[in-house]
Amino acid sequence: MENSKYDIIIGLEIHVQSKTLSKMFCSCATNYFEKEPNTHVCPTCLGLPGALPVPNKRAIELCILLGLATQCDIDNEIHFDRKHYFYPDLPKGYQISQYKRPICSDGYIDIKDEDGKKYTIGIERIHQEEDVAKSTHHTESSTGQKYSLIDYNKSGVPLIEIVSKPNIRSAYQAKEYANRIRQIVRYLRISDADMEKGQMRCEPNISIQEKGKWEYKDNGIAPIGDYKLNTKVEVKNIGSISAVEKSIKYEIERIINTIEKGENIIQQTRGWNADKGITEFQRSKETADDYRYMPDPDIPIIEIAQKDIERISKEIVELPNEKIERYQKEYDLSDYDCTVLTADREISNYFEDIVSLLTEGKDIQKAAKLASNWVTGAVFSIANDKKIDINEKNFPKEDLIELIKRFEDGTLTRNKAEELLRRSIDKGNPLPKLIKNAINEAQKSATNLGDIVNQVIKENEKAVSDYKSGKQTTIGYLIGQVMQKTKGTADPNEAKSVLIEKLNG
Amino acid sequence: MDKKTLKHIAELSRIELTDKELEEFTPQMETILDSAKKLQEVDTSNVSPMKRHISFDDLREDIAQDSLSQGDVLKNANYKENGYIKVYGKIFGSIEES
Ligand SMILES: [Zn+2]
Repeated sequence: MENSKYDIIIGLEIHVQSKTLSKMFCSCATNYFEKEPNTHVCPTCLGLPGALPVPNKRAIELCILLGLATQCDIDNEIHFDRKHYFYPDLPKGYQISQYKRPICSDGYIDIKDEDGKKYTIGIERIHQEEDVAKSTHHTESSTGQKYSLIDYNKSGVPLIEIVSKPNIRSAYQAKEYANRIRQIVRYLRISDADMEKGQMRCEPNISIQEKGKWEYKDNGIAPIGDYKLNTKVEVKNIGSISAVEKSIKYEIERIINTIEKGENIIQQTRGWNADKGITEFQRSKETADDYRYMPDPDIPIIEIAQKDIERISKEIVELPNEKIERYQKEYDLSDYDCTVLTADREISNYFEDIVSLLTEGKDIQKAAKLASNWVTGAVFSIANDKKIDINEKNFPKEDLIELIKRFEDGTLTRNKAEELLRRSIDKGNPLPKLIKNAINEAQKSATNLGDIVNQVIKENEKAVSDYKSGKQTTIGYLIGQVMQKTKGTADPNEAKSVLIEKLNG
Repeated sequence: MDKKTLKHIAELSRIELTDKELEEFTPQMETILDSAKKLQEVDTSNVSPMKRHISFDDLREDIAQDSLSQGDVLKNANYKENGYIKVYGKIFGSIEES
């Protein structure tokens, strides 16, 4: 995406729905997904006159937690404001949000750039607000009249908005940043952040400027000299992390083409069409948004004490970046292994447990390599095929350890061990039972093979004496006899070694 | 207050005003603004803002409770369909969703 003439400047607004039990300002349940419309609604989230919003303690804790995890400054007071606009998905005619004093400000996160180097992306602010209702748009077939159907179940669900500084400089960085934010909110159990379910939404704004004609100023960009900045374009309707990158790539090319043609970029919002892989014009923004913000008189100012911050800090766990560093140092694992093993908090905990169980009487780095081989190999592949989570329930750790040990001591081949693991998931058979059966079977067929070999030796006196007198090639004939008697079920290599053993013995 | 400002405010509220209405309402709005201006003349430099402070512990615990029934929610809606509240397009006016 290097371009000799233009700079790419991207800011990203991310919304995540907090994982609370009740809504932001009322006690309605938040688990509205796939529920009957308008069943998780009360006078407050329906915006009925006289209803009073009462802030949810847990929601605010989660917002502060995200701020702490991203090195933000946390305000000592929380102020809620009203953001006015008139639309049916917003029953009060305003959204309760935060304007001048976001709870968290001036933070950052580190990502790994395309060249593998660390890159720091600034966070301008993280603030708390409430979600709006869900509306779908239709046309009445009989009259041709347009109408919308509104479900208020989503109205009032706690929503955290994270606004980056405009120092994202490529589509790749934007994708990595969104990915990192998703990882952090999942690690800290702030949100499930499932983009398909709308629990996380990414809205990039992109502008293209001539190199050397602009500079960063007050959390934004400013022209140098008499250069006129190109306006920025917003992209909405992004349904996945990969679409963050694709839509931005598409938009960068589109804007540069427009500029090259000598046309003006108009300030606009475009929608990502994932099927066509293009952005489509949605609306232009001729005037600046006019939300007529005002302090919400219904909600008192909430004081945050140092003890509150301390209590919330206790919920911070080791995050992926720190984990990767530790895995490299402590376990000496490859970059790839570290990245995939830390991508999910549950998986990384599972992996670390396997390592410590394997470490008994073993070098920790050897144990980690062995654990990593099994977890990123067989376990990942089975979990992926069966679409199941990697956890104690699906892959009991003690059982997996038993399997790994049987592989290590040579009782089971890798293929056999993986097959048993897969079968334990398929049929719901406990792994220890499968391992025991497999060992018994192997022993049984080994005794069988011994008997058959004895028989073959007895029945082929000539071949045996030929072999014993030095005609080594006769062994092939004898193996063939064993294979015939076992109807091809024996392993030829094994048959050969048992034969040699008995002939020499 | 001029006609242009009034038109903008009306648009934000999705209200369509005719030219005649704009002529008629502009001076009326000005009177309202003048009254508000009078209030602003009062010296409040020594009066602290009347906003209550609460501590973190006073916030509502995150406990979900029963909501209204769907029937109650839809009772006052003029139009409904399959449990949804139905809104005809006219309300959107010429301004799109923010
Ligand atoms: Zn409610």
